[in-house]
Amino acid sequence: MVESAAGTAPRRQGRIGLQLSDLDDTRIVALDTLLQAVTGSAAGDGYDEIQQLLNADDYLAANGGGTDYGRGNYYIAFLGTPSDSGTWELQFGGHHLAFANTYVDGALVGSTPSFRGVEPFGTFEQNGTSNSPLANEQSSFAEMLAGMSTEELATAKLDSVYSDLVLKPGNDWAFPTTKEGVQVSTFTPEQKQLVMAAIATYVDDIDDADAATILAKYESELDQTYVSYSGSTGVTEQNDYVRIDGPSVWIEFSMQHGIVLSGNHPHSVWRDRTTDYGGTQE
Amino acid sequence: MLVLSSIGLWLIGGTAQAHVLPTTTIELDVRAAEIDAALTIPLSDLEAASGIDLGSAGQSGIDAHSSELLDYLENHFAPTTLDGRPWAVTFDELNLSSAEDLGTGIYDTLTTAAHLVPPAGADERSFDLGYDAVIHRVVTHVVMVTVRSDWSTGTIDSGREIGTVGVDSVTGDITPLTVHLDDGSAWQGFVSMVSLGITHIREGTDHQLFLLTLLLPAPLLVAARRWGGPARPGVAVRKIAAITLAFTVGHSVTLALGTIGFPVPQQPVEVLIAISILVAAVHAVVPIFAGREAFTAGIFGLVHGLAFSATLTELDLTGGQLAVSLLGFNIGIELMQLAVVAAVLPPLIVLARTRIYHPVRAAAAVLAAAAAAGWVFDRVGFPNIVADAADSLADVTPYVVAALWIAAVAVAVLLLRGRLVGTAGPDAFRKGEDRRQGRVVRGRAPRHAQMDRQGLVEHPQEVHMRVRHVLRD
Repeated sequence: MVESAAGTAPRRQGRIGLQLSDLDDTRIVALDTLLQAVTGSAAGDGYDEIQQLLNADDYLAANGGGTDYGRGNYYIAFLGTPSDSGTWELQFGGHHLAFANTYVDGALVGSTPSFRGVEPFGTFEQNGTSNSPLANEQSSFAEMLAGMSTEELATAKLDSVYSDLVLKPGNDWAFPTTKEGVQVSTFTPEQKQLVMAAIATYVDDIDDADAATILAKYESELDQTYVSYSGSTGVTEQNDYVRIDGPSVWIEFSMQHGIVLSGNHPHSVWRDRTTDYGGTQE
Repeated sequence: MLVLSSIGLWLIGGTAQAHVLPTTTIELDVRAAEIDAALTIPLSDLEAASGIDLGSAGQSGIDAHSSELLDYLENHFAPTTLDGRPWAVTFDELNLSSAEDLGTGIYDTLTTAAHLVPPAGADERSFDLGYDAVIHRVVTHVVMVTVRSDWSTGTIDSGREIGTVGVDSVTGDITPLTVHLDDGSAWQGFVSMVSLGITHIREGTDHQLFLLTLLLPAPLLVAARRWGGPARPGVAVRKIAAITLAFTVGHSVTLALGTIGFPVPQQPVEVLIAISILVAAVHAVVPIFAGREAFTAGIFGLVHGLAFSATLTELDLTGGQLAVSLLGFNIGIELMQLAVVAAVLPPLIVLARTRIYHPVRAAAAVLAAAAAAGWVFDRVGFPNIVADAADSLADVTPYVVAALWIAAVAVAVLLLRGRLVGTAGPDAFRKGEDRRQGRVVRGRAPRHAQMDRQGLVEHPQEVHMRVRHVLRD
């Protein structure tokens, strides 16, 4: 049903909405205001993270990627009409970044799936600032694994190899029925803090108030949440992979080889088993 | 609402991952008694799944580990009949290659061909693929399976996807692929070969050009070693039929020889074809093998047939399929040839009666010679714009044919009304032709000439009658 309906939606290059390269300065300012309102304020996440990800794409365009890359290729779209009543949805994204916020009667009911990836991964200069997007995501996963004991790591380690996300874009409503890895209920409070810190690097991408609510919910479900990984615990090599799988929360982080540049780069996704797309599957 | 948001997200998600990871591809070639599977496996995922480190030594790394790689592949490619009986699988040599798909960047691949043979009496067209190489370990990897060729359904060089093999994220299990090939038949195969033959000539500008250039002077008689007046339509048609038939016999012989295994040197054959057009073009201006056109057409037919055979040998057929394909392909070639001759011939015969036919014929011959010369240089290794222009001749031919018919109808109408006297100089050529025919000659103006039943002398009224005869035919 999704696919056939999507086939009739008007699109250019598979996208709907306004392309950033078509927006004049006034609209760009308005867009910035909108993004700041719907995203988190923490450094390295939320609005700051979006700016760093756009800088990364500009960097790719200027360093071998060409015109296929760059912030001009990103787009903003509204489904329905923004209002305090009824349903509408805001979408923003492009290469390595996509999120959609669904609002019902003025309240945020869906903020997933949220895709975050970046090339180049590491620190680089672009647009007058130093950028290192997704650095706190990667380091929080590495710290989470570093805080686990040898036995816990053995339980958490997945036999399979992951060269990509399991629930990659398009693979919706396909959550595994069986949870793999080590159950967080066996963790110490400090270890649980590290798990929450990792989850927060994704949830803090949305506005602070809603983020706090969602984090509280995930924290309440920690004991039924599982952590697993594949590859090495440093989360820097190709095929390194980390997953947090709870009753609601689903986060994956996959390290892949470079496309435009050499050097590994991550893809990651935050999904929610109950609120993906703002509600349950029809 | 929910549908709307999921549409939106589906679209977004599709662009968030602007680049994708390489997949394994399995391309099936369905043959008479076995199925060949061309495997292309991304190297890094293969190493991760098999644990075999090939280093960065390229092909020599693969050669050094070839027995381990073969063991691995044999353990992970086990097709069976629907009731579980195993097929036999053998592998050709393993090669290092590279590929690039949309959004993947260039990546290294392992390529090989596997020969799948069903057990005796088993259904060759429905079976379980039994493939889980790479995906048994790299659970995010995907295998795409396509049918590349299947003679008995008339599939040649397609990329029709028949399924994918991968891990179902919900269950964690590999979803197995059962291959169900469409029902085929010898008739479908035959028809597709006829179609292939038709297409081959339709797109074979050089073959068409040879035939047409050879036919250019066919409606004419020779006189004093130059092209002269028009032959009677009956004579012309017989001559053209002989040329076409000889060409057909020639190319049928070498088509058969080349297909059953006679070695065909591709490049020299292509050059010879271009030369054949050159020779035919010269003959169209000045008769260099008058009276021996059919023989020459036959000889050059032998060359063209070798080129035709390349199309069939590519299909790598055997036995009954090969025989049926040879017949069908040849029939297809003949059908298209006949269509070309039928489209061009009647207007040529009519136009041959006019004074302008000589310069038009010469101009056409010069153009054909230019195209042929361009092709000769191109095919010995010097690409040039003349050859490029000649390659796009096919786009022009429908208009040329239409122009020919319009001109021919106009000429026929004018001839009928007696406004146009038949070709220049039947009296000029008469003496020469009469001498050749061994007749005693007496000079006479054509207007008062005796009607000669052999049509060597043209009287306007005779032209008139003959034109009507032609038109009636």
